[in-house]
Amino acid sequence: MVIGNETKPKIGQSYVEAVRARFGNSILDETWQAPDQVTLTVSLNCLPDVVEMLYYEQGGWLASVAVNDERPLNGQFAIYYILSVEGNGDEAPPAEKAYVVVHAQIPPHQPEFPAVTPKVPAAIWYEREARDMFGLQPIGLPDQRRLVLPDDWPDNLYPLRKDAMDYRFRPEPTTENETYDFIQVEGEGIVQVPLGPLHITSDEPGHFRLYVDGEHIVDADYRLFYVHRGMEKLAESRMSYDQVTFLADRICGICGYAHNVAYSTSVERALGIEVPERAQFIRTILLEVERLHSHLLNLGLACHFVGFDTGFMQFFRVREKAMKMAELLTGSRKTYGVNLIGGVRRDILKEQRLTTLKLLGELRQEVTTLVNMLLETPHIVQRTQNIGLLEAQVARDYSPVGPTLRGSGFARDIRVIHPYCAYDRVPWTVIAKEGCDVLSRTLIRAEEFFESVSMVERCLDAMPDGPVLTEGFTYKPFQFALGYVEAPRGEDIHWSMLGDNQKIYRWKCRASSYNNWPSLRYMLRGNTISDAPLIVASIDPCYSCTERVTVIDVRKKKATIVPYKEMERYCIERKDSPLK
Amino acid sequence: MFGDNTTSNPMLAERSQYAIHQDPEIGQLKAALLKDIQRSVFVYRVDCGGCNGCEIEIFAALTPLFDVERFGIKVVSSPRHADVLVFTGSMTRSMRVPALRAYHAAPDPKICVAYGACGCSGGIFHDLYCVWGGADKVVPVDVYIPGCPPTPAATIYGFAMALGILSQKLKAVHHVQSENEHVLPRHPEIPLILRVEIEREARRMAGYWHGKRIAETFFGLIKGDSQPIEQTVRAYLEQEDDPRLTEIVTRLESIYHAYHGAR
Amino acid sequence: MLKLIREVLRVGEATISYPSKPVEVMPGFRGKPHHDPERCIACAACAIACPPNALTITTDLDQGVRTWSLFVGRCIYCGRCEEVCPTGAITLSQDFELAVADKQDLYDHADYKLAACRICGTYFAPVKEIEYVDALLQQSGLSDDYAANVRALLEICPACKRKNDVRKMVGLYQEKD
Repeated sequence: MVIGNETKPKIGQSYVEAVRARFGNSILDETWQAPDQVTLTVSLNCLPDVVEMLYYEQGGWLASVAVNDERPLNGQFAIYYILSVEGNGDEAPPAEKAYVVVHAQIPPHQPEFPAVTPKVPAAIWYEREARDMFGLQPIGLPDQRRLVLPDDWPDNLYPLRKDAMDYRFRPEPTTENETYDFIQVEGEGIVQVPLGPLHITSDEPGHFRLYVDGEHIVDADYRLFYVHRGMEKLAESRMSYDQVTFLADRICGICGYAHNVAYSTSVERALGIEVPERAQFIRTILLEVERLHSHLLNLGLACHFVGFDTGFMQFFRVREKAMKMAELLTGSRKTYGVNLIGGVRRDILKEQRLTTLKLLGELRQEVTTLVNMLLETPHIVQRTQNIGLLEAQVARDYSPVGPTLRGSGFARDIRVIHPYCAYDRVPWTVIAKEGCDVLSRTLIRAEEFFESVSMVERCLDAMPDGPVLTEGFTYKPFQFALGYVEAPRGEDIHWSMLGDNQKIYRWKCRASSYNNWPSLRYMLRGNTISDAPLIVASIDPCYSCTERVTVIDVRKKKATIVPYKEMERYCIERKDSPLK
Repeated sequence: MFGDNTTSNPMLAERSQYAIHQDPEIGQLKAALLKDIQRSVFVYRVDCGGCNGCEIEIFAALTPLFDVERFGIKVVSSPRHADVLVFTGSMTRSMRVPALRAYHAAPDPKICVAYGACGCSGGIFHDLYCVWGGADKVVPVDVYIPGCPPTPAATIYGFAMALGILSQKLKAVHHVQSENEHVLPRHPEIPLILRVEIEREARRMAGYWHGKRIAETFFGLIKGDSQPIEQTVRAYLEQEDDPRLTEIVTRLESIYHAYHGAR
Repeated sequence: MLKLIREVLRVGEATISYPSKPVEVMPGFRGKPHHDPERCIACAACAIACPPNALTITTDLDQGVRTWSLFVGRCIYCGRCEEVCPTGAITLSQDFELAVADKQDLYDHADYKLAACRICGTYFAPVKEIEYVDALLQQSGLSDDYAANVRALLEICPACKRKNDVRKMVGLYQEKD
């Protein structure tokens, strides 16, 4: 299955050699999907050790974990730990940066694997998901709860197993209640909380529990995935591989295009399709336009949460210019639908170019005024500095992504580390801050906004001639590769394997917030509950997902359910605590 | 064979037994509500499993450029206060019960709006294992606002339509083939192979949308026989003054000459 | 604070006056797919391309009718139908005012007649599609004899074509022996 371009030098060979030196005969196979993408097949029992070594010794970040039911192909389940290995930062010359995928096979008669989480905490959600979707038991994983599937989903029915069920199979509902088992805070008996009867979702659904001592947050837990629909199953059943781009657009209503590009590039890489230069530039422009409106949304919300609603409205007024730009360049304000496998569906002609440049100029000017205004508002700094700290070590352990990580001192941006589209052909700088707090994350977004404006301008100037679409490529069965994009919230990673029927055999998409959620718990600890919405908004989980908040006082052993709007009000006004 | 065949297998049949039966009296109350509500419409949003696109567009409709509050439409934080419930997103398995709770919490009479492709029908997710379909699989829906997502202007229109301020534009269409219906290929005067090659190259160079328009323009240019096409094309390109367009049209022109040269 | 007030004053009225005045969308905005039923040949290319199954085709072989349907409530406005339509029957309009009270108003249907096979008499393909292919053959500049041969084949269903092919092949083998 070696399809990488053999003439290009392989990037990441040193990591492969280091792993081979330590584990020798446990490394069963090595295949290259691209010059900087290698898949190592290892024996199952040394899987955690190989991942740990790459993660902590070679400077790896856990990008994603893909599980695949390959029984129809070779009789085994497969698990792929996808690491972006980047060195520890102290090498001279700088270490090479490559995707190293650690692959192991799991026999179907014993569907279990040694959990990596005890050694690399970042794997926790992925391993819970592997159990939900494929029925593969991570041995040694402390958390036995479901992650993705609804609470009343039948036991022993694993949707992504190839022989499990039709993608349309809908088991009868079994319960009218939710039965999720939230964590217990140690040392204190916690009152079991009946679910709030009414205060339910209004934005993105999700259920939070904060464990507090007086006003201080001791710990937090959350149940998400209320919106699990089963996209990955859809992609491999009803749709053909070239329709999935339009599904990828709908993973997220804000950064859908980033997913779209990640999916398209994964398939293009797997099939060895050369995407025309001009299409690469157009994709870059649209990705940055998406970052413009996404960051403006978050800056607006930052104003909102500190009670500066005029600023919020002003940011949203200006944001409409970015939406207009998106509509002009793609035909739609969101869910652009511009990618095909092999290129893009729309060109940028003179009219679009000139209007875009004009809008960019207006945006730069107006947002400069607004950002200055935001920073001069005295309580902004007061409310956000040293709040929601994400310590560098926690960040290192949990592999968060995007501004969340860059706010904790890591200048890590996939656009530089693994350049894709046209990011290595236009000059720009990565923004990182050392503060580890809400303020740093907000400032990063503000500065990235201006960086994106310049990047779109430069791309429009440097755009090469030629076609925007490659046609006439060959669909090759069972090839796989990674696609990756730095979305506004961090990297999106897609792992795709093609089937033999014009479909995808397995599509694992990992959205940026998936990597950010597990570290949120640490950001919330030690803060007051009035800052909770602000902290959650600072990882920009689309629009704040904290709709229903349960607050549990560990000393009074009292549970209170606070509607999210009430929390939001308290965050803005900071008086009349909802807990009293 | 194509697309929606969910009803062919009884195991997979669409379920409607969860839908709520509505008292006919409520209908009259609703009419009264619509008449009296005027400029005080309280809206509660229920995200039943969307991608957030709809939520942000509703948000955009509230902000200065569109400002639905000028019509008295206000988003409230509890269904208890709501006159209108907006259901966005395809109804997921986990969200059915919470959505029902929101529905029952809102006082009668209330207007239910299915918002976006997912809210109207389940959208692209309509037949998935963790999705029940559109909002109308669980609650009775009064108004459908399609779109993926509906733009803020479409949102304003939808609300204006729901409140009886604007009238409905879209009507069901049922065409039946008549006796003398025939379709002829476009541009019969241009040889088929040349037409296809030009259309294909235009799409490859500029995508389907620009490509279609550029190809049509080019066909218009080569149809006139009054002067050599080089002159017509040059005059057109000078007038447009767009380097990218020049590049594309020049390529189409070379295909034209190659075709005629080969003859 | 003063800066903020100055900015607010500078911007003035930002709100557009829709719906009292029409709102302008950008050229190329993708709104409701407009179907020209007269130009449609019921070939189903759009239904195969449509990612959310908003476009569906049902074929009634007893009545000899093929129905094309669009369910606007499921449409994601991607424009793939426009991109693949061979006759230009579908174009995405700029129309976004699509809200309805009755779900049935979100449906477009068009019924097309199917042609019956010249040999076995079963319905197999839309009459308009066959006519269109015939017209393309005429336009493609094939020799008259060749075009006439191909045209004769157009009126036969795939099953009968296969049977004919098998008979021909058997004939060839028998000649050899």
